[in-house]
Amino acid sequence: MDRVEIRITAEPIDNARCKFLVSAPVHSSGVRRFSGAEEAKGSPLAEAIFAIPGADVTEVIVSGNLVTVVKQSAAPWQALGKSVGVAIRAALASGQPAIAPKPAAAAGGLDDDALYDRVAELFDSQVNPMVARHGGRVELIDVQDAVVMLRMAGGCQGCGMADVTLRQGIEAMLQQTVPEVKGIVDITDHTAGTNPYFAAAKK
Amino acid sequence: MPCPSQPRLLLLLPTATYRTTAFVEAARRLRVDLTVASELPSTFEQAQPDRLLTLDFSNPERAAEQAAAFARIHPIAGVAGVDDTAAVVAAAIAERLALTGNPLSAALAARDKHVQRNELARHGVPVPRFELHTLGEDAADRATRLRYPCVVKPLRLSASRGVIRADDPRGFVAAVARLQAILEQPDVAECGDWARQVLVEDFVPGPEVALEGLVIASRLNVLALFDKPDPLDGPFFEETIYVTPSRLPEPAQRAITDCAQASVAALGLREGPIHAELRWNAGGAWLIELAARSIGGRCSDVLRFTARDAIGKQQVSLEEMIIRHAVGLPIPSLEREQCAAGVMMIPVPGAGVLREVRGIAEARAVPLVEEVAITAHPGQALVPWPEGSRYPGFIFARGGTPAAVEAALREAHGCLAFVIE
Repeated sequence: MDRVEIRITAEPIDNARCKFLVSAPVHSSGVRRFSGAEEAKGSPLAEAIFAIPGADVTEVIVSGNLVTVVKQSAAPWQALGKSVGVAIRAALASGQPAIAPKPAAAAGGLDDDALYDRVAELFDSQVNPMVARHGGRVELIDVQDAVVMLRMAGGCQGCGMADVTLRQGIEAMLQQTVPEVKGIVDITDHTAGTNPYFAAAKK
Repeated sequence: MPCPSQPRLLLLLPTATYRTTAFVEAARRLRVDLTVASELPSTFEQAQPDRLLTLDFSNPERAAEQAAAFARIHPIAGVAGVDDTAAVVAAAIAERLALTGNPLSAALAARDKHVQRNELARHGVPVPRFELHTLGEDAADRATRLRYPCVVKPLRLSASRGVIRADDPRGFVAAVARLQAILEQPDVAECGDWARQVLVEDFVPGPEVALEGLVIASRLNVLALFDKPDPLDGPFFEETIYVTPSRLPEPAQRAITDCAQASVAALGLREGPIHAELRWNAGGAWLIELAARSIGGRCSDVLRFTARDAIGKQQVSLEEMIIRHAVGLPIPSLEREQCAAGVMMIPVPGAGVLREVRGIAEARAVPLVEEVAITAHPGQALVPWPEGSRYPGFIFARGGTPAAVEAALREAHGCLAFVIE
């Protein structure tokens, strides 16, 4: 039987963060975010990425076909990206779930559910009515450890100004309205946008 | 007026640019307060009036008034523009608010190819012999009085859009007609009187290089000198490979740097990034273009600078350097990393609608290749030069030598197959 080719495209955001778009689903049950090797136990892909020598990985976020890796090391994504690709292919080839399901929230921990509700209210009442004026939409995917995971759609997906919308708009509103939120992660695959509001040019 | 605890950068970002993420993330890393100004309103401008601003990019004086009103409420420590138009607006704002920046006259001279040629020639900088023509003139008549080969170009379009070489009178007439059709497209024609004019200049033979620099107190600091190993002999001038460090002999590199410094002085540029294109031949170094902005597209990813502090070595991006300079933060290093580095602006493979790009994984697997970024979307129309100006993607590589980097870029490009309908 022919093996299905797994294609992986790396999209470095900067020297610390890189998105890996995989041609096959990696984790279909929502979003999982891991902020350390200990947390990754039981999820073979996350374990393997945290174990990449010299990478000093601090965070792994997996959702659908997208794996986002955050590292501290100054090593370029050139070498590390290939190791991440190897880990993804190995995890998918094993036949076992690459990522374990999200465990139930521990008692006394951060109340992500309550944060989720407040962020969702903000998105419904303010964020989405604003981005809708430009044909965009922002989906709240999850809140884990007070980190908001979102996906941009419609005119926002692939838009050259998406980072401005994210950092100068959404993140700022979250800081003001839900200050307990510690961070924001965009899990959008911007390369898949087919109807960007602004087409990027070489300028 | 009290200064903010963190310096505020006013970043002028046109809405159609690849440069957003690089600049916004650099500002975040530096923890400067960031206000992004564009020519169109942002969806969140009313909700975040200290972080988002709309400026009239078509009228620098008006934009400076708008920025001054903003700065009365939110003091600004620095301003930076990321493309040719934004660089002019940034200069107007810098003048108005006494910030680090270029004089408006210098930024205007850098943006307009004819004004630039006049200023450079007036100050003795070697530039191709040039003439200004107006669309509607009798091109056939003019063609009989030109020297060949010549190059026909618009005054302001970027990325060599509309630049065409002509080798004889017949070719000149055809080139002018083709450029006229580009200049009459609605998005260009509405830009002003410059879209009714054409620069005609001698074709300068010889290898072309690109120089990336940061001007500080009128002195040019060379950040990188890129060879362009693919000959740019026309008839169109789509870029492909940039590789640094340059393999030209040391005397040639010195002459090129001197020519660029003389150009900076001639135009009156004092502060901020420049991107210059020069040629080198038996006659010496020739200034072909100079822009008062940093390198375009995704190409800045190829540049990294090494800074050392108490923690150890750190990599600094070009955008961080530009922001630090604009807001007056210390610049830790002007020294590029030691290795060779290169980028290929992937040539447009043909006219049509892009359906798919195959072979990306194979291209990424080529040794020394760091990234293959396909920026064209499926369904996007690909337009070849000279009408087009958008590359479908970029390939980046780093290695021990420029030759190895160039070979890796070519091998990776050879892996890609564009499916176009």
